[in-house]
Amino acid sequence: MSAPAVHRFQSQPNAARRSERAAFWLFRAATYLVLACGLGVFGTIFFKGAGTVFKAEAPFINTTFFTDAPESLYIFEFEGKKYEMGDRAFRAFKEKHPAAAKVKSESYVYSAGGIFPCIVGTVLLVVGSMTIALVLGVCAAIYLNEYARDGLFIRFVRLAILNLAGVPSIVFGLFGFGMFVIYFGWNVSLLAGWFTLAFMVLPVVITASEESLKAVPKGFREGSLALGATKWQTIRKNVVPYALPGILTSSILGIARVAGETAPIMFTAAYVVRDKLPWEVEKAGEFLFQGVMALPYHIYVVSSKIPQNDYTERVQYGTAFVFLLVVALIAASSILLRNHLRSRYKW
Amino acid sequence: MSEPNSTAAPAAFAIQKRRLRLLGLTLDDTIKAFFGGNAVVAIVVLTLITIFLLREGLGFFAQNSQSLRVYRQAGLEYVDFIRAEVDDHTALTRYLSDLRLRQLTDLTEVKKLSLEDANAALTKFDEFADKFSGTVDPLRSMLSDLTEQATAIKTKFIVTGDKKEERRQLLAEGKTAEAAAVQIEETDFAAELKPLVATLPAFKEGNREFGRALLATLDGAPVMPAPELAARMEKLKQLTRDYVAGLPAVEHALETWDYARPIPAWKAVSSFVFGRQWLTASFWQDWYGVIPLFIGSLMVSIVALVLAVPLGVGAAIYINQIASLREQRIIKPCIEFISAIPSVVLGFFGIAVLGQALRALSQVSWLSWMPGFPYSERLNILTAGCLLALIAVPTIFTLAEDALNNVPRAFKEASFALGASRLQTIVKIIVPASLSGIISAVLLGLGRVVGETMVVLLCAGNRIAIPDFTAGLSVVTQPVHTMTGIIAQEMGEVVRGSIHYRALFVVGLVLFALSLLINYVAQGIVRKYRISIG
Repeated sequence: MSAPAVHRFQSQPNAARRSERAAFWLFRAATYLVLACGLGVFGTIFFKGAGTVFKAEAPFINTTFFTDAPESLYIFEFEGKKYEMGDRAFRAFKEKHPAAAKVKSESYVYSAGGIFPCIVGTVLLVVGSMTIALVLGVCAAIYLNEYARDGLFIRFVRLAILNLAGVPSIVFGLFGFGMFVIYFGWNVSLLAGWFTLAFMVLPVVITASEESLKAVPKGFREGSLALGATKWQTIRKNVVPYALPGILTSSILGIARVAGETAPIMFTAAYVVRDKLPWEVEKAGEFLFQGVMALPYHIYVVSSKIPQNDYTERVQYGTAFVFLLVVALIAASSILLRNHLRSRYKW
Repeated sequence: MSEPNSTAAPAAFAIQKRRLRLLGLTLDDTIKAFFGGNAVVAIVVLTLITIFLLREGLGFFAQNSQSLRVYRQAGLEYVDFIRAEVDDHTALTRYLSDLRLRQLTDLTEVKKLSLEDANAALTKFDEFADKFSGTVDPLRSMLSDLTEQATAIKTKFIVTGDKKEERRQLLAEGKTAEAAAVQIEETDFAAELKPLVATLPAFKEGNREFGRALLATLDGAPVMPAPELAARMEKLKQLTRDYVAGLPAVEHALETWDYARPIPAWKAVSSFVFGRQWLTASFWQDWYGVIPLFIGSLMVSIVALVLAVPLGVGAAIYINQIASLREQRIIKPCIEFISAIPSVVLGFFGIAVLGQALRALSQVSWLSWMPGFPYSERLNILTAGCLLALIAVPTIFTLAEDALNNVPRAFKEASFALGASRLQTIVKIIVPASLSGIISAVLLGLGRVVGETMVVLLCAGNRIAIPDFTAGLSVVTQPVHTMTGIIAQEMGEVVRGSIHYRALFVVGLVLFALSLLINYVAQGIVRKYRISIG
């Protein structure tokens, strides 16, 4: 008698097991479908945008795209050759060849030149609003985590933070418009954009900061207090320094949100087009009260206000590529740093 | 917690330190108050949002009430009764031309006639159709006369209003002489409306004539070749008879109409909340009804959630319960990463790639069984919904995964110990135990989707109309406009302080209230059904 090849307790394939496997594959498929969709969006924009941002010869990066302002693109035929030129180049060309003055040309706005003013504007908006949000948010988190005792007031504050996180960004835009732009009379300006964005991102910063403060062990505070330090000394010397890396890295996620939002700055800070760069103001005091161009708003403009064709595609995909890359890098560094920190600080 | 630096130190203590006091507070108290002040910012901001939305928005209802009053007093409402009648006739004509198209296809495809022959065979039908649509012409010319009259009255009233405003401003500036020079003619609606209302007998006569003529044309209706078409013709006849029977009601409405009847106050609110038209910058009458925008937002959100909930929750279950540790570590950040894609980039992706791709997909012949396929509008509910789903998935995934994580380990172990398989444990134990968390995750995902602006602005098609629900499921291939989209689109172009401007703020207020409601319900669900066994 030969022994059975299979152990009697080993699992046997049966209908239940098969359906379980099928169900697991379904879940797996859902997960990978989500990933594939995300990858599809990234891939398309990277693939098509890379053509604008990179080029075949050294230095391999299309520097003019990063350093020039947007211009109109002119396409025309002259003496049997086809030319594509930006606004300024076209005017120079006409001066050089007087015969070209009357040449018929097709033109597309914003399709030539680069996106330098938009990059500058986005950087200014992000830096200003994150400074405001970090100051307010970290202080609020310190109060909530270090000073506050559970009570009606604190519950109220937490409820407000939770609700603030759910308010749609366009409502923040309306609010900023109603309060800063009209009531305070700041007009469409950097300052109005800063405060609108800062208030929008405040719940993210508070939550992130509180999480980092919570991660500092209680013993640190107790040790310091036992040595006779005051509460403020304890917080300043023994709590915040250890929480700061966590606060900053988690807040990077807030930066990604601030940089990526279009709706709040549409009526508070963004201009469709502006010739001057932000530092080309007559008086220093005007710096805060000027509107700027911003990358997300520029993407909205070039994708909705100009037709889709081979000529406009370059600037559309190029801008989207740069923007996505910036936001993705910020977000990725935040996620990686957070995971790194979580594993490092184990007190 | 004990306060080591309590200020109430015993008086006899040898080492005493004088404390700096500011307004009766010690330094530590001041610092505490400073941090507390920052914590209050969240409440302050929330209050400010409410205040400023109300401040800009509340004036809408007074202005809307005024607008409705003028609509009645200037006789626009009177004329619109007749317009509705004419429009109904146009709808019948449209039915008739649809019938002709069907007959033409029948002739060319079933009977294999050439196009010319088919058109020739339809001569009799065309004669009938011409006669049918021609009956309304006298009424239509009367309507256009009345329209002009009513518009003139309204314009006069508006001009008077402008002049009053001018005088008020001049007075405010102290220029009394100039102010006195501004001539104001008060609009006497009763007198102005007299010629308009005087047309009633003529209209009545014309209306009866119209009814008779319309019924008379029905006798000359051609005989339909196919039974299906004949049934349609019968239906048209029936509809026409019903329509003619309804004509006296219009006359009655005109007779009893009174320009001086006051507009109740709730009308200003109900015409916004239940208004089925959002019509701005029209020469006739502007309507601010939120229903088409609300339905647009709702439809887009439903499509997004139908796609996102299975994917998000499925992925959460997979990552939390099924996947290996290594898979978990890689996939989780990746899905969180998707949430970092800015919505404007997704909107651009929708315009540039997805809209076209989906339309091309809809035109593939073996997919034509799908509802609504093939379609021709590139930007519609479906396109926007797909992209919004991608926005909602990371939110739903992250929160649902948290909820699954919070299910006590003992639940799972007990289930295994009873001999349940992994699938049984997941379906019967883990998911029900974390259901409250999953539902609140879905609700918060809904909150994100409803509040999303750029994707719907770029990809939903921006047609302000209630989608045609008679089309069944294929309603998802129609373009809509949304509440968030309309604010973003029109806010930049409106005059500050105008009724249109205020209407947009009221839409913002609706969105704000909606987001608070969703948040409240989500929190309530979590609190109520929290797992109590640790």
